[in-house]
Amino acid sequence: MTSVIDIKDYTWKYLHTESPALNNIDLSIEEGSFVGIIGPNGAGKTTLAYSMDGLIPGQYNGIKKGTVNVFGKEVESYNKGELQQVVGVVFSDPEAQFTAMTVEDELVFGMENIGLTIQEIRERLEWVTELTGLTDLLLKPPYEISGGQKQRVALAAVLAMKPKLLILDEPTSMLDPVSRKMIFEVLKKLKTDEDSTIVVIEHSLENLIPLADQMILMADGEIILQENTREFFNNSDLLLEKGVYPPGVLYFFHELHRKGLYQGEYPLTVEQGKNLLQQLVK
Amino acid sequence: MTDKKPYIQVIDLDFSYPDGTEALKDINFEVREGEFIALIGQNGSGKTTLSKCLNGLYKPTSGDILVDGLNTKKGSIVQMVKRVGYVFQNPDHQLFNNTCWDEIAYGPRNIELPDEEVKERVEEAIAVVGLPKYTHQEHPFFLSKGLRQRVAIASILALRPKVIIVDEPTTGQDAKQSLEIMNFLRELNQEHGHTIMIITHDMPIVGLYAKRVIAMAQARIMADGLTRDVFTLADVLEKTFLAPPQITQLAQADPTLGFDPGTLTVNEMVDQYLELVQ
Repeated sequence: MTSVIDIKDYTWKYLHTESPALNNIDLSIEEGSFVGIIGPNGAGKTTLAYSMDGLIPGQYNGIKKGTVNVFGKEVESYNKGELQQVVGVVFSDPEAQFTAMTVEDELVFGMENIGLTIQEIRERLEWVTELTGLTDLLLKPPYEISGGQKQRVALAAVLAMKPKLLILDEPTSMLDPVSRKMIFEVLKKLKTDEDSTIVVIEHSLENLIPLADQMILMADGEIILQENTREFFNNSDLLLEKGVYPPGVLYFFHELHRKGLYQGEYPLTVEQGKNLLQQLVK
Repeated sequence: MTDKKPYIQVIDLDFSYPDGTEALKDINFEVREGEFIALIGQNGSGKTTLSKCLNGLYKPTSGDILVDGLNTKKGSIVQMVKRVGYVFQNPDHQLFNNTCWDEIAYGPRNIELPDEEVKERVEEAIAVVGLPKYTHQEHPFFLSKGLRQRVAIASILALRPKVIIVDEPTTGQDAKQSLEIMNFLRELNQEHGHTIMIITHDMPIVGLYAKRVIAMAQARIMADGLTRDVFTLADVLEKTFLAPPQITQLAQADPTLGFDPGTLTVNEMVDQYLELVQ
């Protein structure tokens, strides 16, 4: 497996802050993997995301140590705009990325920018509006739709460019439970059908956990824990100490474990939890 | 829901936007003093529109809303802001002064209270939300989202409304901050007597804090009742595109196991488990 992201001894301090936002980060992400990054606000998650698509150091002033390699090349050595063709970022604040007057133009903007043919743009537009359920909104101004719809437009605009590495910063924070599930179903399709490498920063773990191959816990600018998803949650005491609450089902089994009533693996979904309960309650 | 008199009465409310979009249809409900209500529903179902009707920002297209006996069609802004306060989903949509102090003082000054009383109310609001001293003369935009949200709530509190509507209080907050904000809203509810209405998509939070749930879909109210009961209405939830908290789903997953389908929290689930296996 080749790694898409290779970060070594990486420290980043914004110009006007006292302490570094990221401290001694070592991280590699393999091609085709699905990685979840969690941690309290202020842990450095967004800064890490910006570092992977060259926004840092490109657009921000600060002091950098160490190296950030993306697709085998240091982010600084890419030409302007080149890196953004292979790495797509969906921001947590969708309005921060809108530029156009209609949803349709918003979706087309990125594709035009990377020089796709009109035919290709038409096909992808159809694909992406279908995938994200935006067909009825194409002619509306992105500022007049609801928060959740904005978030879907932001995601669709990035998906349309079919980036090889997709980074999502809290992509569902404004969504209702069903729309949230829908976004994760889109991500699941991308994972299985398109071989995309996907990095998701999320507070809401319920939908993330069943998809993530790997989980990373960040706090105070550092990576505290990086494990395959199931092993990751064996450290639930550490997670709780850092203010991260596992989803209800997993949390329930963790509580049983703490009371000495359960020793096995933690379930990651309601279905797995149900099966375990059926064995335990006779 | 107790025998207290209704503070808000919504009667046959319809609301359409100027472009003809019907945002609210056939809305009827009452809110009593001291309630803690969660307004839930799919994006675009009308939740935010409804709260803007409750505080008189929007006037009904037809039907009436009475707040403490006052019809929102007739109530002046000054009368309304003392009754129902609305905290925006994004605090940045509401904060515009240069210091937190001025931000919180803006409302009381606007309703032309004397300086002395403005000062008193600002200090009270700051104390209730617990804004650290260094923030008082700071520009709100230099604060964290959690603190900005507190400033936004304080600026509403300074108007001393009976009812406080908070639009998505936990969006963008991590788990610890979410619980802090919600505990604070619970305190406002239980110790300061405010009626609280939250708009949220966070079902575990609903399960932990709200006694009553109003579920909306396509401009209508689909269910209104105790949280415990609403979360057991599978068909309604499906229609409203909602799902109960994951722990409630686990309790409902196999009815033969004997868990209460209205289980709302992990602790309730653990207690039942202990009883079942012993």
